Amino acid sequence: MAEVKEMTRKLEEIHKKIKAEIPWEPVGPTPMPEIPDLRNWDMRLLKTYAPFYAPFCDLCCFCTYGKCDLTETRRGACGIDIATQQARWVLLSCLMGCSAHAAHGGHILEFLIERYGPDKKIDLGGSINIEAPHIRTVVGLKPETLGDLVIAIEYVFKEITHLLDSTAMGQEGSYLDYESKALHAGMLDHVGMEVADIAQIVGFNYPTSVADTPLIDLGWAAVDKSKPVILFVGHNPATSTVVIDYLRENNLYDQVEVCGVCCTALETSRYSDRAKVVGPFSRQLFFIRSGIADVIMTDEQCIRTDMPIEASKAGSSLIATLDKAMYGLEDASEMDTEDIVRQMVEDKKHFAILDPRKAAEVAAKVAIVIAPQRRKEWLTEGEAKELATKCNVCGMCEQVCPNLFNIGAGIAEVAKGNFDLIREQFNLCVGCGKCEAECPRKIPIFKIMQIAASKESWKVRAGRGPIMDTEIRTVGAPITLGTIPGVVAIVGCSNFPDIRDIAEMVDEFAKRKYIVVVSGCSAMVAGMWKDADGKTVYEKYPPAFDMGGVVNVGSCVANSHITGAAIKIANIFAALPLRGNYEVMADYVLNRVGAVGVAWGAYSQKAASIATGCNRLGIPVILGPHSSKYRRLYLSRKEEDDWRVMDARKREIVDTGEPSPEHLAYVCETKEKAMVMIPKLCIRKNDTPQGRAIKLNHYISLHKKYMGGGLPEDIHLFVRRDPDIPLVYKKEVRAYLQEIGWKPKEPVGLPTLIGTYPSKVSVDAVIH
Amino acid sequence: MSAVIPYHRVNVLTGIKSARLIEDAQEYADLIKKARRPLLVLGPLLLKWSLDGKLLIEYALEIAKAANIPTCATAQVRAKMAELGIKPDSFYDVVEIINALKDPNWRGVRKEGNHDLVLFFGIRSDLGEQGLSVLKHFAPHLKTMTLCKFYFPNANYSLPNFRKDEQWKAFLESLIDNLKKGE
Ligand code: SF4
Ligand code: SF4
Ligand code: SF4
Repeated sequence: MAEVKEMTRKLEEIHKKIKAEIPWEPVGPTPMPEIPDLRNWDMRLLKTYAPFYAPFCDLCCFCTYGKCDLTETRRGACGIDIATQQARWVLLSCLMGCSAHAAHGGHILEFLIERYGPDKKIDLGGSINIEAPHIRTVVGLKPETLGDLVIAIEYVFKEITHLLDSTAMGQEGSYLDYESKALHAGMLDHVGMEVADIAQIVGFNYPTSVADTPLIDLGWAAVDKSKPVILFVGHNPATSTVVIDYLRENNLYDQVEVCGVCCTALETSRYSDRAKVVGPFSRQLFFIRSGIADVIMTDEQCIRTDMPIEASKAGSSLIATLDKAMYGLEDASEMDTEDIVRQMVEDKKHFAILDPRKAAEVAAKVAIVIAPQRRKEWLTEGEAKELATKCNVCGMCEQVCPNLFNIGAGIAEVAKGNFDLIREQFNLCVGCGKCEAECPRKIPIFKIMQIAASKESWKVRAGRGPIMDTEIRTVGAPITLGTIPGVVAIVGCSNFPDIRDIAEMVDEFAKRKYIVVVSGCSAMVAGMWKDADGKTVYEKYPPAFDMGGVVNVGSCVANSHITGAAIKIANIFAALPLRGNYEVMADYVLNRVGAVGVAWGAYSQKAASIATGCNRLGIPVILGPHSSKYRRLYLSRKEEDDWRVMDARKREIVDTGEPSPEHLAYVCETKEKAMVMIPKLCIRKNDTPQGRAIKLNHYISLHKKYMGGGLPEDIHLFVRRDPDIPLVYKKEVRAYLQEIGWKPKEPVGLPTLIGTYPSKVSVDAVIH
Repeated sequence: MSAVIPYHRVNVLTGIKSARLIEDAQEYADLIKKARRPLLVLGPLLLKWSLDGKLLIEYALEIAKAANIPTCATAQVRAKMAELGIKPDSFYDVVEIINALKDPNWRGVRKEGNHDLVLFFGIRSDLGEQGLSVLKHFAPHLKTMTLCKFYFPNANYSLPNFRKDEQWKAFLESLIDNLKKGE
């Protein structure tokens, strides 16, 4: 009895927070879900997509009982085994990622509420009514003001605490439960990201409800180094936008060049289309060492931790603008502005300045004073050759290279006056700087690589934020029927095996009329390629969320709009209520929305949590080879696994035998393999025969293109009846099916997992 | 045994169980011959790497042939094999084959039972090392062996970090000879 009362009080509390009395939709079964609330859904997913652990370290050193060796079947002093320890790491990674975005959101909210007050209305323009699909679905709240976003972010903060608690020594003992918690953290991450980006759009007047946002100059050569240059590094635009305001107000914007690396660059270009995007994280150290930036302003996430050292080496001034990374610098937030400027100019001191107005003024003043005194020239080929002559090809640089290639060979070629290899290698380089630090001959490898760094500039489309409801109405049917073959989201960080892979993937799938969505570093890199007519993918393809479109949603936190679009399809197109109704949304997406994420260069914990959040929502993610170091994938075994679904129309469980989607988190070693996995992971049980034939057409043709002819050997698993076979391959596929004794099966009318596992949700809930 | 540092430092072992380093091709050949159901997993670097103008995939296929080892073509290896007119015994990508190998009840690529010795060749070393880690911890029913020119701590048997390609070439040629001898 006590239990029931307690639950009721708690529920009442939740209903109060989410303003349940406002009846925009009935409140579903899981508003503000806590750890156990979606556990059954997770367990159902994990049954088919079992965690696959690749321990990155055999030990545990989390507490003073350790180090504990967990090799093979050994257990730690607390009783934990190696699989559970991996799952604990995964959860920790997801929590780091989720916290980074949530804290970013929280900070932006505080900043904007200080400026506008909590009642500032959320208005995303005439084409977006479902402003916050994640907040509506997970939290159960329809946020109308900045103050409402605080309710959502506080819920995320609270859940993070509970999840983090579970990682302490002597807590959770099941890898499956840790995975369920990681999935919870991933889901929360999308809420946190949504809070952050909605706040930014509202507070900074970013473009919204529009597809053709401006084209932004991209690349090193886009930066006018003849002017004083201010470089923003990181993810949080609170300060960068204030810097632009300051320059505008003081008529200095024409005189000062403003540019950025990583997501702050994307954010700033949403605020002012004159801001330049230098490139992804992997170009950060290169650009800093080039000395082109007079003032570097760091905020948070994906900023190098040795920034004060690097800034000093390059003769640049550094201002740390956020408490997340203060580098041990003196906090000058309360100091007199002129005094800070003087110390920075005369004593070459770096400071932390947490007051954006002050930081902006200091940055502008320092940049204007020091720029004329600094030499900013690119290295010449002659100088590079000279610097390279000391290389004795010892191979030390290759041994420390995280992308496993021999930059020393490229340096040795430069010494001979041949720059071809190093130009090629620049595409593989992730910009970590480990090679140069290791070189016994102190060869300035980074400087030499300037030769290879293209002097070209490109274009990237400014991030546009949420997908419009009007677009969802247009594409909802073709996506769920399969006639738009899929939504391919090429997202995330820049630990690429080869930077050129991204534009190639975007081009391949846009050409094939998939909807291609990009974000973050991948959005920048997508633009770093031109076709024969000199066009980047942003100029070649329309910016619409429609077949053959290439859509840049924005920075990392804008990833929430991609998953948000999937929820909107269920809500707007299929008219399923979303409020507190996560399981129904996720089930719909898993079974009916042919979307796949590609995080080809994922390196950060944020990427881990974003991907895990996609997985809970039923969106599979393909990762590049480095991501095997995340320690965990979600893989099925197509021949053995359980592919039964409920046919909600007939109310019967059907064994489809169809592995769609085949995996939830998958690593490919090569671009070629990814090109074939992408179309395969867009297949859904809901496809109509016409849609399925289109999807299989791409799967087969990409398989032939990259795998040397022939049919994919699992093609029979995806052909339900003859009309599913694409016309062009009819003969070949029929012959193969006959050879292996394939039997036709009925497509499922309304596929759902609801009804195949214990859940509060009834099958009725998935019928629209 | 004192710790051997892998060539690529990202693969440095944090643990206590590391591969037995073997330089003698005869010893490798004996281990392979002793295996009842070996498997050779072919990675995409075999299409990129060559020794004196001969692609590594050719060495790999000679090894497979000499010891009648079934092959698993990962990534785009099958494209090159098709060009050479050879059909691999199975196609799985690297994480998929490892996932299958983990299961002691898997029937293997020849449907004769799971494999007892798995040779990896031509997979990028970080991904390869991670895959070997999966098998080290979760597949006590099989042993792993590598043929690339680097030391892989997470394997059961590994080659050393060969300083010179000639040493590697000599090893592979000797291995093929030794395997042929057993025919
Ligand atoms: S947390 Fe457990 S496994 Fe880790 S060091 Fe402590 S006792 Fe050992
Ligand atoms: S470490 Fe230095 S000297 Fe050695 S190969 Fe690399 S660049 Fe040349
Ligand atoms: S900076 Fe580039 S070449 Fe040097 S170690 Fe890092 S990835 Fe390799």
